[in-house]
Amino acid sequence: MPKKLFQLPTLLVLLCFFIPASLHAQPADLEDQVRAIAAELRCPVCQNLSVADSPSELAQQMRAMVEEQLKAGKSPQEVKAFFVSKYGDWVLLAPPASGFSLLVWILPYVALAGGLIFVFFLLWRWSRRKPTGSTAQADPDLIQRIHKELVADDSWEVDPEAEGPRAPLMRERARLYAALRELEFDYQAGRLSKTDYDELRREYEEQASAVLKDLDAAPPAIREEASPAHRAGGKAKAEPAAARAPRRWTFVATSAFLLIFGVTLGILLDRSVRPRGSSEDSITGDFLTGTGGTGGAPLPAVGAGSLQDLLAEGRAAFERQDWPRAIDSFKQVVAMDGDNPEAHAYMGLILAGAGHADAAMLAFNRALSRNPDYPLALWGSGMVLYRQKSEPEAARERFEKLLALLPPGADKDQLRETLLELGQGAAKPSAPPPVPRSGPGAGMAGMQDMTASAPGSVTGTISLAPGLEAGSGNRGVLFIIARAAGSQGGPPLAVKKIERPAFPVSYSLGQENTMIPGTQFRGEVNITARLDRDGNPVTQEAGDLSGAYSANPVNVDTQKTVDIVLGRGNP
Amino acid sequence: MGITVLCVLSLLGLLAYGFSRDPRYIPSPLIGQPAPSFRLTLFDGRSLGLEDLRGKVVFVNFWASWCPPCLEEARELEAIWREVKSDDVVFLGANIQDKEPDARAFLQQFRISYPNGWDPAGRIAVDYGVWGIPETFFIDPQGTITYKHVGVLGRPVVIAKLDEARRRVVSTEEGKGAYQAIR
Repeated sequence: MPKKLFQLPTLLVLLCFFIPASLHAQPADLEDQVRAIAAELRCPVCQNLSVADSPSELAQQMRAMVEEQLKAGKSPQEVKAFFVSKYGDWVLLAPPASGFSLLVWILPYVALAGGLIFVFFLLWRWSRRKPTGSTAQADPDLIQRIHKELVADDSWEVDPEAEGPRAPLMRERARLYAALRELEFDYQAGRLSKTDYDELRREYEEQASAVLKDLDAAPPAIREEASPAHRAGGKAKAEPAAARAPRRWTFVATSAFLLIFGVTLGILLDRSVRPRGSSEDSITGDFLTGTGGTGGAPLPAVGAGSLQDLLAEGRAAFERQDWPRAIDSFKQVVAMDGDNPEAHAYMGLILAGAGHADAAMLAFNRALSRNPDYPLALWGSGMVLYRQKSEPEAARERFEKLLALLPPGADKDQLRETLLELGQGAAKPSAPPPVPRSGPGAGMAGMQDMTASAPGSVTGTISLAPGLEAGSGNRGVLFIIARAAGSQGGPPLAVKKIERPAFPVSYSLGQENTMIPGTQFRGEVNITARLDRDGNPVTQEAGDLSGAYSANPVNVDTQKTVDIVLGRGNP
Repeated sequence: MGITVLCVLSLLGLLAYGFSRDPRYIPSPLIGQPAPSFRLTLFDGRSLGLEDLRGKVVFVNFWASWCPPCLEEARELEAIWREVKSDDVVFLGANIQDKEPDARAFLQQFRISYPNGWDPAGRIAVDYGVWGIPETFFIDPQGTITYKHVGVLGRPVVIAKLDEARRRVVSTEEGKGAYQAIR
């Protein structure tokens, strides 16, 4: 029994270690082939790297030679043989499976097999061990008899071919006596510990005394067929087997556990190690370290699609003046794409708004380093240079560049006006840079109103619908949103954010609240308001209140008073 | 018990053996083998192939101007060359992984008069399994490599090995001195 049991798991566990190697397919095109061969060659200069991974000059030359030889029609084996003929077997990262090096290939498996056999041997012995004090004491008289019979002679020995009703019992007795003798011999020879010897001896003696009892009970001469002795013999045999059954279960269960453990470990190891995708790639990854195989990108799990998502998220946060969230989104974009001009430009705007002119300039310049014609960065850096750093000449340079890039339209005209103003500002000392009032939005708003020659503005009060006053006041965040009439989706024209409003709230909305630099708060707009419970305007909660101006759209150039009543439901 | 001791001792033995070896040292399989043929473009504009030198003992020295041990042996090599220069001995310098002006300055500095050429793509270096310079090969008149030396060479070794090469005696071991790993 034990032999069969530990052959199967051993084989299976060994198989698990062999399968993965055969799973990696052969590379197809030349570059992959060069890399595959180079990865098997040890770099003679750096020594701990493969020729594929080494940045050394020699490794580069060797890679070129591999490619050249492959192009000349040599097989990968021939290419490797060439390098072996020059540098010896030393140059192979995997030593050849012959001669002394064969040991390197064999020893791990020998050790593994040896370890497994050892473990299963221990298990087997352990599972055979008696549960302490579980069986009743054997009859001391019978034990005495066994001892006597054992020392006296070999009369208990039987012919294995013997027939008869008592023959099975006699054979069993002979087997147990022989086992006892062998045990004694082994113990005397020092091959067994005292505890093992005592335990095994007690077990054999108990079994033997049971057999003796049956033998005494069996009538000496009865017909072979259907004799009670026969049945008694069967019972005698069945008894120890039954006593051992639960122990056999522990053995099977433990073997199964070890087997599953080995298989799982093998699979996990194989899946956590993979061929290098590039020289920056690591061989470990996937689910062990959580990094994928895309070759060294810091956040490889995030694809190009989510880069756009993050940018959109950042823009949305920027528009609703949620600076921490906007900064977070743009930072994530920068982590994925270090020179993303849009992210840097927006970061610059946020920094400029908070009064950090130098940091803002760094961000704008970073954006411009990738795309020298990026309008948002040109505009932002121009504004910072003009307003916060008082360098009108540098600002003019940026604005003029932007002017050349802009298509004809309102934006262009507006920029011309700014340039004109700049020309006057350069003649007389420019206005002192605005002092950031509170938070990034305030500073930026001051920057933005620069571009407006005659901005419109509205004022008014926002009140709650009758019946909603109780429990609604002084909680959440109130957003007053102006969208250009006729625009579907996209960022709002202007947003005002009032935290913990005390209704009725008076407000004013104007150029300083515009979302996108360069736009003007004028013309026909739809004005709505929303009281958001958690301050996150993206999500809609059950308790959110909203309302729209009853006579939308409003021309903010002419109309000045806009009152809104908040109620339940969408505006 | 006995088995445990045996296992531990054999592992310790293996460890001791590992520590006694230079892990950077690459034993060359080329000694006793036919020398790979090559053609050098010399700094004086000529071109010289190994085939042209059959019947002569050839001394091939791989070097670079940025390698301190090469600087160390350069003067002595030139002196030996002047001494042994004859119809049946040729010294050859193969400059590897170097810039031409630096290499020329090096030759100028030590007034080296034996032919020197360069190996721009590292082809000859790889053909000879070069890994640490200066690296020198002695080739007998039939074109067999009789001896290889990694590192700085001294006069006695050069004289003895040139003589062995002339007599076509193949060394069983390669020589080793202070060397600089190539790049």
